[in-house]
Amino acid sequence: MSATDGTRPPLRPASTGTQIRLLTVRLISKVLREPAVTIPNLAISVFFLFTYNGAFGDSGVTNFPGVGGNYLNFILPVTVLFSSISGGAAGLTLVQDLETGYFRRQLSMPLARSAIVLAAILLGAIQVLVQATLIMSLGLLLGADPAAGFGGILALLFFALLWGMGFAGYSVATGLKTGNAQAAQAATFIFFPLMFLAPVFLPMDQLAGWIQAIAKVNPTTYMLEAMRSVMIEGWVASSLLKGLAAGGIFALITLTLAVRVARSKTARA
Amino acid sequence: MALTTAQASFVAVPTPMIEVEQLVKTFGKGDDAVKAVTGIDFSVPEGEIFGLLGANGAGKSTVVLMLATLLEPTSGNARVAGHDVVADPTRARLSFGAALQETGLDPLQKGGELLNLHARLYGYDKAGAERRTNELLDVVGLQDARERRIGSYSGGMRRRLDLAAALIHHPKILFLDEPTTGLDPASRRAIWDEVSSLRKEGVTVLLTTQYLEEADQLADHVAIMADGTIAASGTPDDLKAGMGADVVEVELADEETAARAAAAVGPEANVVGHEIRVNATDGPAVLAEVVGTLKTAGIEPQGVTLSQPTLDDVFLNLTDSRENAK
Repeated sequence: MSATDGTRPPLRPASTGTQIRLLTVRLISKVLREPAVTIPNLAISVFFLFTYNGAFGDSGVTNFPGVGGNYLNFILPVTVLFSSISGGAAGLTLVQDLETGYFRRQLSMPLARSAIVLAAILLGAIQVLVQATLIMSLGLLLGADPAAGFGGILALLFFALLWGMGFAGYSVATGLKTGNAQAAQAATFIFFPLMFLAPVFLPMDQLAGWIQAIAKVNPTTYMLEAMRSVMIEGWVASSLLKGLAAGGIFALITLTLAVRVARSKTARA
Repeated sequence: MALTTAQASFVAVPTPMIEVEQLVKTFGKGDDAVKAVTGIDFSVPEGEIFGLLGANGAGKSTVVLMLATLLEPTSGNARVAGHDVVADPTRARLSFGAALQETGLDPLQKGGELLNLHARLYGYDKAGAERRTNELLDVVGLQDARERRIGSYSGGMRRRLDLAAALIHHPKILFLDEPTTGLDPASRRAIWDEVSSLRKEGVTVLLTTQYLEEADQLADHVAIMADGTIAASGTPDDLKAGMGADVVEVELADEETAARAAAAVGPEANVVGHEIRVNATDGPAVLAEVVGTLKTAGIEPQGVTLSQPTLDDVFLNLTDSRENAK
C-alpha cells in the first residue's frame, strides 16, 4: 500500500506548485461553466473590430499619416488591448469565492496563501491570452497584416498580457478589499476614460487639443503606439520600450497593491 | 479502521488533542470593543466529543474560528494536536478538519470534483484521491450526486458534503460549528450517526450546537457558554445531576398563564412554552408545594408531572430563563 492510497492520511500537503496548478484548473472549469461572465468582454472586442473597421476601413482615415493604408492594422491593437480587460477575471473569481465562503474554507486548509491568489492571477492571464489570440486570429482572417510578421503577432499578445496583468492586479486588489462583485466590477469603469482618452480611432495628431494633452500622459497611448508600431512599421525600439515601460509600471503598481491587500486578507482577522 | 503504528503510539501520549488556555477575543478597539470570548479554558482528550453549547452570540463560533486558525486570538493560547494555532498554523491545519457554520462551497463545482480536488491538495496522489473521494461519497451517501453541481444540492446534502470535505485527510480533530442548524430531522440524524461513528474511529470532535438534545446525544463533555465565558462544564450527566434529582413540570393553559405561574412560584421556576419547570432535590415535596402555591394564586394547572432533568434545565438555569423561554 502506498502512503496515499486513500485509506491513510497523507503526510504533507501538495507542493505549492501543485496547489497552484490544481487551483487554477478549478478556476478554469468554473469560468467555463459561467460563460455569461466571459462572453460580453469578448463580444465587445469583436464588435469594435467589425464596427470600426466597417466605419473607417474604406474612408479617407486609412490614408492619414500613421494609419499606414490598412485601417485593420491600426484598429486591431485597440481591440486586442480591450480584450485584456478580461484579466479582471482574477479578482472576480476571488470575490465569488469570498461570497460563497469557499475562500475561507481554503484558508482553513494547509495551503500556501500565495497559491490561492496566484491561481486567480494565472486564470486572468489565461483569459487574456485566449481572448487576445481569438481577436488576433479574427483580425488576421479579416486581412490585418503585421509589418513585423509572426514575431509581431507574439509581441501583440505579450503587450495584451502585460496590460491584462495590470487589470488582474487591480481587480484582485479592489475585489479582495471590497469583497463585493458589483463593487469590483464597477471599479473597472474608471478604465473607460483611460481607454478612450487616447489615440484609439485616429492617430494622435488628428485628436482635439485637449484630448491630445490627456493622451500624452495616458499609459494606454504608449501601449497602443507600441502595438501599432509592430503592425504598421515593423520593429521600432523606441515605441516598444515606451509601451513596455507604460504597461510594466501599470502592472507593477496594481500587482503590488494586490499583494498588499491579499496579505492582509489572507491573514487572520 | 485499524490503528496504524503512528496513531497507536500517539494514543500512549496523554496530551490533550485540543487545549485552550485563557483564550480571549475582542472585536474592535477602545469604547466600541466587544469582548466575544473573555478568557476561557478547556481541554479535550483524544477520542472525545466535546460539545460547546450556547445561544446565538454566546461566543461558540468565535472559539471555533480561532481554533481553525481563521481568527487571531486577542490573547491566550490554543493548541490543536499539540500545534499552537498562532505559531504553527500549517501543522495545525493538517491535523484538523473544519465544517463551519456557513458551508463554504462553490455552487458551480460538482460534489465529487470538490472532494477529489481537496484530496489532491492535501497530498494524495491521483489514484489515492479518487479512492478517498469514493470512500467519502459512500460514507455521506452522496455517491449518486457526485456529478451534480453543488448549487443543486439541498441544505442537508451540502452539510454532508461539507462534512466529507472536512474529513478528507483523516484529520485527528474535527471542528463542527452548528452542523445541524436548519436541517430536517432525517438529515440531522444522518449527521449524528456520522459523528457517532467517527468517535469509534478515535477522532476528537469539537461540536458547537444550540440544541441541547444534540449535545446530550453526542457529547462526552459539555461546556455551556454564555456571554463569552464558560458558565458550566462537565459530562451531560454531571450537569444534570447538579440540577437536583427531579424536575416538576406543570402544564398550564397558555404561555401567559405559565408566566403568571412562574412569577407566583418564584425564581426557581423556568418557563418553557406553556409549561413551567422547577428543579428539585426532593421532587414529591416540591410538587405539593408548587401545586399549593398555584392554588393560592388562583391558577389552575392542566397537568403536573415529576421527571428527570434534561440539559435544557441546566441551560435554562444558567441563562436568563424568561428571556430564553419566549
